[in-house]
Amino acid sequence: MEQGKAEVLKGTLDMLILKVVALGPIHGYAISQRIQQISKDLFQVPEGSLYPALHRLEDRGWLQAKWEETETGRDAKFYSLTRAGKKRLSAELVNWERLSEAMALILSAAE
Amino acid sequence: MNGWLGRLFHKRRTEKRLDAELRFHLEQKVRDYLAAGFSSEEARRRANLAFGGLEQVKQDCRDARVENHVQDFLRDLQYAFRGLAKDRRFALVAIFALALGIGATTVMFSVLYAVVVDPFPYRDFQHSVVLEMWDLTGPREAEARFHYTIPEFVAIRDQNHVFEDIVGDYQSDVLYRDGKGTRRFLGCYTTPNDFGSGVPPLLGRSFGPDDGKPGTPFVFMMNYKLWQTEFGGDPAVLGRTFFLNGKPRTLIGIMPQRFNGCGSSLWLPTDLSPGADGTVFPVKDPDVIWACARLKKGVSLETAAADVDGILHRMAQANPGELYPQHFKIVLRTLLDFVVGDFSKTLYALLAAVTMLLLIACGNVANLLLARATVREREIAVRASLGASRGRLIRQLLVEGLLLAGGACCAGCLLAYFGVKGLVAIIPRGPNADLFHGRIPEEAVISLKPGVLLFAVAIAGLTTLICGLAPALHAVRGNLELRMFGSGKGAGGGFRHGKLRSGLVIAEVALSIVLLTGSGLMVRSFFALTHVELDFNPAHMLYAWVSTTEHGPYETAVKKKLFYEQVLQRVKALPGVINATTSLSMPPLGGNGSEITVLGKPSSQHWSSGIDLCGKAYFQVLGLRLVRGRLLSETDIDSARQVAVVNEAFVRAYFGSANPLGQKIKFNDFDQLPETPHDAYFEIIGVIADFKNQGLLEPPRPEAFLPHSITGFGGRNILAATAVDAKSVLAAVQREIWTVDSTAAVTQSGSMEDFLAEFAYTKPQFGLITTSVFAGIGLALVLVGIFSVMAYTVALQAHELGIRLALGAQRRDVLAMVLSHGLRLISAGILIGVLASLGLTRFLASQLQGVSATDPLTFCGVALVFLAVGLAACFLPARRASQCDPLVALHYE
Repeated sequence: MEQGKAEVLKGTLDMLILKVVALGPIHGYAISQRIQQISKDLFQVPEGSLYPALHRLEDRGWLQAKWEETETGRDAKFYSLTRAGKKRLSAELVNWERLSEAMALILSAAE
Repeated sequence: MNGWLGRLFHKRRTEKRLDAELRFHLEQKVRDYLAAGFSSEEARRRANLAFGGLEQVKQDCRDARVENHVQDFLRDLQYAFRGLAKDRRFALVAIFALALGIGATTVMFSVLYAVVVDPFPYRDFQHSVVLEMWDLTGPREAEARFHYTIPEFVAIRDQNHVFEDIVGDYQSDVLYRDGKGTRRFLGCYTTPNDFGSGVPPLLGRSFGPDDGKPGTPFVFMMNYKLWQTEFGGDPAVLGRTFFLNGKPRTLIGIMPQRFNGCGSSLWLPTDLSPGADGTVFPVKDPDVIWACARLKKGVSLETAAADVDGILHRMAQANPGELYPQHFKIVLRTLLDFVVGDFSKTLYALLAAVTMLLLIACGNVANLLLARATVREREIAVRASLGASRGRLIRQLLVEGLLLAGGACCAGCLLAYFGVKGLVAIIPRGPNADLFHGRIPEEAVISLKPGVLLFAVAIAGLTTLICGLAPALHAVRGNLELRMFGSGKGAGGGFRHGKLRSGLVIAEVALSIVLLTGSGLMVRSFFALTHVELDFNPAHMLYAWVSTTEHGPYETAVKKKLFYEQVLQRVKALPGVINATTSLSMPPLGGNGSEITVLGKPSSQHWSSGIDLCGKAYFQVLGLRLVRGRLLSETDIDSARQVAVVNEAFVRAYFGSANPLGQKIKFNDFDQLPETPHDAYFEIIGVIADFKNQGLLEPPRPEAFLPHSITGFGGRNILAATAVDAKSVLAAVQREIWTVDSTAAVTQSGSMEDFLAEFAYTKPQFGLITTSVFAGIGLALVLVGIFSVMAYTVALQAHELGIRLALGAQRRDVLAMVLSHGLRLISAGILIGVLASLGLTRFLASQLQGVSATDPLTFCGVALVFLAVGLAACFLPARRASQCDPLVALHYE
């Protein structure tokens, strides 16, 4: 791993993927690019974690996949959110908010 | 779900797509690196590096999907099946052991299910209760009364606040004239409310609220068995009129097979008003009503008992008399508890026994699997080094266990099917009548129901976990790769690394010792019971209860005496009959009794005595011994003299060492009976030796023997001593009775030995047979267990033994070494087992008679049996070890 870049926080990868996919159908490579971009290069998603996670999410029924052509004319697997996936995402977001609030409280109290 | 099933069957396409997806990613990455200005070679290298092993990513993707687990499972199953098929002997032994365990557990569970969950066909049977009146005055606790007088019953019915409904009934012989002669069926007069408790009649109609009221037509219902045996199941009998107890009655309905209220063949409605049903009791208001009530929702047994207690205490105050003890309380028990009673203890003890059996079987299989896993250490190490994860390996070993358990489950259910059949044949069951309590309800149907089969499957699953998990964890412990370099056979590993195996053997032996001790005690107890000294001779004795219509031609003492004298004369003249007499009781059970008063010896205590009414040959037929005085003579009986012979218990209780001869006693209850001398004192003329007269286990109670001619009351039992098999003359006895009077009926008859077997031996025999079978299975399993473990240990040690032999060890030494190893395991097991038994057998104490729960003889015997069996199981492997050729043994390496 290059200096200054962090691996995605443990347990948040699913949420990040769902969030990114929620923006519109997208293939695996673009997902990793997008996460890296939005986090201003802070987060790196290693392929070894990304693909198993995608397959797991698809298996759970939160993502659905379709083979479509990319702009460059190649076939790629595009993921999109299912209804269950949307529910899951909002649940994870609520959870995350509570978690980060709690973290903030603890950290500010410790000052 | 469609998705993963589809993917399961289109595996190739799925793989291709996974590959395409990842390749696309890789190519995008290469393109990016190219765009960033790397050379094409460097771009490819960097992309590959970032990806970090394409195959690993693929595998992780596959693992994320359900269908792949299914696939792995199927592959494991296939693999396990192949493995077991290769080692068929191992598989068969393991399946057989487990099948025995599962089968036995399933059988016992079927019984418990039938007895506890579904014993009666009645609606809400959990709320059905029976009423017991416990006498708190007597020295012996809880002498209970189960029957009530009509006024008592009516008071309870009308005044209680706790019952939804209460049914009263009383049993009575019903004499049926069919033209050829008179037969007797067990009838039951019942209040018509809630007849059947929710069980609809098979044919016809059930009783309505008006049936049994005075002035309504006489009707009755019949049980299935009688309908089948007497009328061939012909529906045309419905609506026919029968002559029962001399009165015409119409058959209105037939109850289904699974209904046996009161254990009766016929049911007759009554509203309990005098004369409504055509029966008249010989005494006013006898306590004959059996009451079964259904509790209102939410009312506890205690609350209901207190309510009834108040009602009966008020009655006792209003009518003081012999009906009520000085102190009493009412106790309610559920119908189920009343019927099954103590027998549930036997059932739970047996359930504990089969659980032990199942554990032994599991221990056995775990041991076999463990042995296999150890032999396969190298294989497991190879698989681990080829990338199989620990979880994968454990799962694979568990699948093997599952396969065994599946096979055993099928075989076990098959065994259970036959086991249930065998058990049903020996289990003591009885109608819901008080004589029979402590048995399983007659209406409980023991069979392999779906619920029970589900239980068997659950047990099989559990055994998989028990037998499979320990060996699996054991096999994958430690550093798997390192083992590759060790000898796969684990040279010398047998004795030292086999702690788990040894522990299992010890546990098996200990469990089996507990089982065998329990069954040994049952055997001893049964032996003691069947060898109880009755002090009279039951062999070649026939009994036949005679019932004459109560208000027929034998209402006077003289007429009754004449009738029986004629019958006895004819019975005695039959070929094969030596002698015959009348009696009032069944000798080992005893019968009626009465309070007594001894002339000139007033007592504040209640003195009582059993009574038997004897013919001339009574003492000869039973083979009773005269101690002093004389027996009843012919003149005593012919002229109905008021004399009595008493037993030694009588003398001990009321006269001590004083001379009883010439003393006069009065039987207070006689004053209440018609056609019986009132206010009469009987002179004691003789004393006979005691014999069992209140069951096999109780000491004899005081009893007086009077000439049968003194009273016209009651039915009589005919006892005949025969020279041939008692049962072979039964029909002839019946014929002779009908020759004297075709309206007289034999109600119950048979040989005394059969009677004893039915009443006294059935229950202990059931316990005996079941525990012996279970203990036998346990012993066999342990034999197999010890044998397989020793054989396996010896096989593992072949190398070490070979070296020892090559270095000059004697074969004798090797034999001794292996035997002593086995002996150590066995003795440890025996020690633990005996200690555990000492703690556990006291739970059996209530079912043991004539033997202590810690009987030293049984304990020693069991330990010796085990020592012998254990050594036998060790001997074969030990001999094989001592005869192995050192060269061959060393060649293994």
